[in-house]
Amino acid sequence: MRNVKKVIAATAAVATLVGLAACGSGSNGSSADTDTDNAKGEIVFWGWGNGIKETIAAFEKANPGITVKYNSTGTAADTATALQNAISAGKGAPDVVMLEDPTVTQFAVDGSLIDLSQFGADKYESDFAAGPWNKLQYGGKPYALPIDSGPEVFFYNKAIFDKAGVDGESIKTWDDYYEAAKKIHALGDNYYITNNSGDANAYQPFTAQAWQAGANPWKVDGENITINMTEDAGMQKYIDFQQKLIDEGLVNTNIANWSDDWNRSLNDGTTASLIIGGWMPTNLESGAPDQKGNWRVAPLPQWSEGDQVSAEDGGSALAIPEQSKNKAAAYKFLEFLTHGDGAQVMADNGTFPSLKKILNDSDFQSAENEYFGGQQVNKVLCEAANLPVTKFQYLPYNPYAQSQYGDAIAPAYQGKITLKEAMANYAKLLGDYGKQQGYNVTVK
Amino acid sequence: MSQSSATSSVGQGAALQSSSARVNRHRADWRGWKFMWPFAVVFVFVFIVPIVYAIYISFFQKKMIGGTVFVGLANYARLFGDTQFWSSVVRVALFTIVQVPIMLCLAALMALALDSMKLHGTKFFRISTFLPYAVPAVVSTMIWGFVYGAKYGLVGSLNDLLGTNIDVLAPSVLLASIGNIVTWEFTGYNMLIFYSSLSTIPHSLYEAASIDGASEWQIVKSIKLPELRGSLAITVIFSIIGSFQLFNEPSILQNMVPGNAITTYYTPNMYAYNLSFTGNQSNYAAALAIVMAVITMAIAYAVQLNSMKEQMK
Repeated sequence: MRNVKKVIAATAAVATLVGLAACGSGSNGSSADTDTDNAKGEIVFWGWGNGIKETIAAFEKANPGITVKYNSTGTAADTATALQNAISAGKGAPDVVMLEDPTVTQFAVDGSLIDLSQFGADKYESDFAAGPWNKLQYGGKPYALPIDSGPEVFFYNKAIFDKAGVDGESIKTWDDYYEAAKKIHALGDNYYITNNSGDANAYQPFTAQAWQAGANPWKVDGENITINMTEDAGMQKYIDFQQKLIDEGLVNTNIANWSDDWNRSLNDGTTASLIIGGWMPTNLESGAPDQKGNWRVAPLPQWSEGDQVSAEDGGSALAIPEQSKNKAAAYKFLEFLTHGDGAQVMADNGTFPSLKKILNDSDFQSAENEYFGGQQVNKVLCEAANLPVTKFQYLPYNPYAQSQYGDAIAPAYQGKITLKEAMANYAKLLGDYGKQQGYNVTVK
Repeated sequence: MSQSSATSSVGQGAALQSSSARVNRHRADWRGWKFMWPFAVVFVFVFIVPIVYAIYISFFQKKMIGGTVFVGLANYARLFGDTQFWSSVVRVALFTIVQVPIMLCLAALMALALDSMKLHGTKFFRISTFLPYAVPAVVSTMIWGFVYGAKYGLVGSLNDLLGTNIDVLAPSVLLASIGNIVTWEFTGYNMLIFYSSLSTIPHSLYEAASIDGASEWQIVKSIKLPELRGSLAITVIFSIIGSFQLFNEPSILQNMVPGNAITTYYTPNMYAYNLSFTGNQSNYAAALAIVMAVITMAIAYAVQLNSMKEQMK
């Protein structure tokens, strides 16, 4: 059957003088050359972030004969787009690619990435924090190894909190958070505890907070998907809480994450806290330099008092596209950066690691961060990373879900419809798309 | 094929040289292709092949489960019922109806002012109004985005100064704000087209007009405006095509505008881009592109027919 498909595809390609063959032969029947000991040659690496150049230098020194050509592809979304293009074109994909964790399964489903267990990557399971590791499995096999992890934590500007008479350390639950939000907005019309405009960049914080509430908006079982955005108990908790913040005007709905305004508002203190992943510190330092010494980090507020539940926001990983011509050398680099000596170089350059060895290292944990007023930031983050994480599934078409989030959800933050209505619209969009992609979708 | 026909045409050419030129005119002659082929090859590969390929892939659908399948006209059928697509078409149509007349009137006024010979610093005026066209659209959109910012931009500073609360990026006025950027970018370009057609008017006409005692207004009305009509058709068609392809300005502003005022389907081009690159639906995007091309061509053709009729009068 597969051969018939290939023949048809090849005929079509010849007939139209275009290289369509790649569409028909995407399945990863071929086994890669797994002889990493004798790997040689040049590999191309797409990625973004800090510390990459230093890590590549260390790798090339340790592995003479392999050179790494690094292409900075900007952001997670741009990288996924570029990879998607290369896959559609049938050529041009790199040997190693950095992807945001929830994006990995989408490329694994259609065989665009290779299963790393053929190189023995499955043996590393216990070496990595559970949160990021679990997001990179498809069909029980690892398709990528995590670079960093993003335990969701609570960053706050102590100077502003003090001015409002709120002790950041005492915020233990989301109810405490709500009370603090009122006091901070009382400082002035410009002051908000945080921003949320319901745009596409608010998607990750949304999934993390709903995840922490125990929500299961998406259940994926092979080709069957159940979407339940409004009736699920965890989702209801999340929706009610956000709706309260919107109705009482306690969040700044005019500023989107990662916008220029966002950095400016963090820098002048009018956005006083963030619920975001543990990789945020370096971004705060560069985005809000004027607030040096004022920021602090604390554990994520809990839904019920006394709970200890965490969630993951973002995080990135390395994978090898099926198109790679030098998979052995590619794996060698991937292993070096995520699991080998390169992981330490990345951590030294500000990456929040997912490797337990580094997470639990006492030097790493006791490092004092001047930007955070000498706080032992890594200690708080490591505690968050070691907290138990409930099972949470992303849709296999996560990039699409993220891009549509803004279209569907922003009207709720502008007060045009309720968040529950917005979530129902969103569920319908996602359901329709899943059906078009050939899944059996049930929307509740 | 071209090789053999080329040699045979050389032979034919030699034979024909002795016969009359009349026969030569009516026989197919392949000699022209010797000069044409570099262009023709490039034209086929960068123009014809992509269009044929786009039409071809628009008959397929790529699914995550099930791979690529032939679906006939299903993509087109889906497109006709796609409210997001039609809302984006209506948006650019509205944009065209409002923005194009404003821009062209401004351009015509500027061209007339330049041509009146009554201004000082004509050269400076001409180059400075044209300059925005030379700035890449991405850069000018970012500049305007920073100007527009209601909190940290120039508008924000004005708000602080005057105690007002104006937000030109609010969803209700956003399209007009984009129109302002596009007008700023392209008025100078259109002005130049108008100006060049005004400068082709023979000077003797003005002399005749002044001998007849025509006022400045009469000269504008009876000599200059009729001359502008021809170039008006060109500028209208260019502007309509440009507006229907609106992409750079809204996609750059997307990250600068609060909330989600610019959706992923704000204009047909943005919709096609997002379908293709985040939605993994390049086949459907190809169908969309072809339908948009047909719509744009139909409108441009209608405008051209109309203006030709006008000129015949």
